[in-house]
Amino acid sequence: MNVRRESLAGRMWTARWSYAYALPMLALLLVFIVYPIAASLGYTLYKWNGIGDPTDFVGLDNFRRVIDDSIFWGALKHTFLYVAIVVPVQLFLALGLALVLNQKKLKFASFYRTVFFLPVVTSAAVIGVVIQLLFSNFGDVINNILRDLHVTHGYIDWLGDPRFAMGIIIVIGIWHTLGYNLVYFLAGLQTIPEDLYEAAKLDGAGRFASFRYITVPMLRSVGIVIVLLALVGSFQVFDMVQVLTNGGPYFATEVVNTYIYHLAFGGTGDVDPDVGLASAASFFYGILLIALSVVQVVVLRSLARRRAAK
Amino acid sequence: MSSVATTVPPLSRPAAPAPLPARRRRRRPRAAMVMTHVALVVSGLAWMYPFLWTLGSSLKGTDEFFGRGLNPLPSQLLWSNYQQAWEQASFGTYFINTLLITIGTCVGTLLVTAMAGYVLARAPFPGRGIFLFLISATLFLPHGYTIIPIFDLMEKLGLLNSLFSIIIVQAAGGVVFGTFLFMGYFQTIDSELEDAAKVDGASFHQTFWRIMLPLSGPMLATVGLFTAISAWNSYFIPLVFTLARPEQRTLSVGMYAFIGENSTQWTLLCAGSIITLVPIIALFVMLQRFFVNGLAGAIKG
Repeated sequence: MNVRRESLAGRMWTARWSYAYALPMLALLLVFIVYPIAASLGYTLYKWNGIGDPTDFVGLDNFRRVIDDSIFWGALKHTFLYVAIVVPVQLFLALGLALVLNQKKLKFASFYRTVFFLPVVTSAAVIGVVIQLLFSNFGDVINNILRDLHVTHGYIDWLGDPRFAMGIIIVIGIWHTLGYNLVYFLAGLQTIPEDLYEAAKLDGAGRFASFRYITVPMLRSVGIVIVLLALVGSFQVFDMVQVLTNGGPYFATEVVNTYIYHLAFGGTGDVDPDVGLASAASFFYGILLIALSVVQVVVLRSLARRRAAK
Repeated sequence: MSSVATTVPPLSRPAAPAPLPARRRRRRPRAAMVMTHVALVVSGLAWMYPFLWTLGSSLKGTDEFFGRGLNPLPSQLLWSNYQQAWEQASFGTYFINTLLITIGTCVGTLLVTAMAGYVLARAPFPGRGIFLFLISATLFLPHGYTIIPIFDLMEKLGLLNSLFSIIIVQAAGGVVFGTFLFMGYFQTIDSELEDAAKVDGASFHQTFWRIMLPLSGPMLATVGLFTAISAWNSYFIPLVFTLARPEQRTLSVGMYAFIGENSTQWTLLCAGSIITLVPIIALFVMLQRFFVNGLAGAIKG
């Protein structure tokens, strides 16, 4: 072909409009995503409260301080607990609901879809206000019901009690973002050709057999993406914790992102903001997550290889 | 809403009574369908309970708000809460700000991601691989608290305290995901139309703006909806960029400021929550048909 013999400059000139079309995206990416990441990597080497320019060079001391901080490890534990419960429960519920709503004969399916998607379109600010009002102002009602049922005797301050706060955040977390997974699964189910099910029916396959031998394998690749998105989102949980408990009481619900936020902007009490320490914590966490995703990819690959070998 | 509670009505009765075995076979799925609807309505009501309670509370008087507890139903409808929230509590101003920011962010994100997604999918150029690698890598890098360098940058550019700064930062936040979705979608569009247009002498620009972009309706709706949801609801970026200018607050920021300033007017806060919710729910209801199709299109690719 002629094209291959053309010089690089020539090919670039031919594709000049392609560059022009990609340019705005590249500019936004470099200025608002790549540059800030590079800049905050620089901050990790300084003790800096975020005002003026960083001058107090401390080397890798910030990383050492993060590793020595028990609150950081507590926050990491809470984040893993959140992910370990929210992701499986949410995906299980979302897949079940998607299978129900995907039935062709089901009427009002789009109405039900809207109902279960509602929390997704609701801002964390609104949810925070409403849930706090429900629990802190009317926790009495729930308390009275529990007392009448002889489940408890005594007053429970739901969001202010370390034993319950994290559980409530997990439940609200499942409720808040289930809708995304629901529509992802619905979209995935739509890509499965209808004639596969028709053919299976003709061959006498029941509902369960169709699910096991058509739906599951056809959803596998989409499913992996959905799991990844759910994991990424849950590991970055922030606003729901921030509006509901602000990491309290006594750091009982502090997750990694609220921990970083409190370091960067000054937290509860008289803690001074320390942007260097916050950036170090953020990078350390990022490295942990990247290491985890590498392990995950290796495991998935070996599973796929074993399956292929069968 | 209540009409939904009535379960499936039979679509049409067969003109002649069907033979018995056939009928029996049809009856069982129908009973299962009724059970499905009952389960969906009950769980749906529970799912929506916080919204119903907020809606009810936005129409209650303050005494009733505390007296009725978890009962969402108001005894009388106090519409004046909405008027007060809109005027006295400045929710009207916040609403306009949020609307402008959301429209700006959506238009910017859609243009930038559709153009980039198109050339990545259909008009390859030397360096495409490096470009793709770069945008994939940013998905895995920790973003952390990059708001501080961004804040510094905007300050140096003199863009601080403007709605424009909020729009551009929010648009930048969504470009990677949007570009991937558009790329996936454009890859699935049949190349025949594009080739025919080229044969007819259409330029690069005409091919994109007149043919490919109009064809990408479902993806425009999908990326538009994702962007609108996050722009309408975002709290952190508008908070940081409007600290010095209360009149530029968005609904989410204004709502929290309102709690700080008036800790007793909960019914106005509920009315404000409903004002915040209605437009974005309306948008979802309008676009949801395209939304699932658009996602399905991108997944196929």
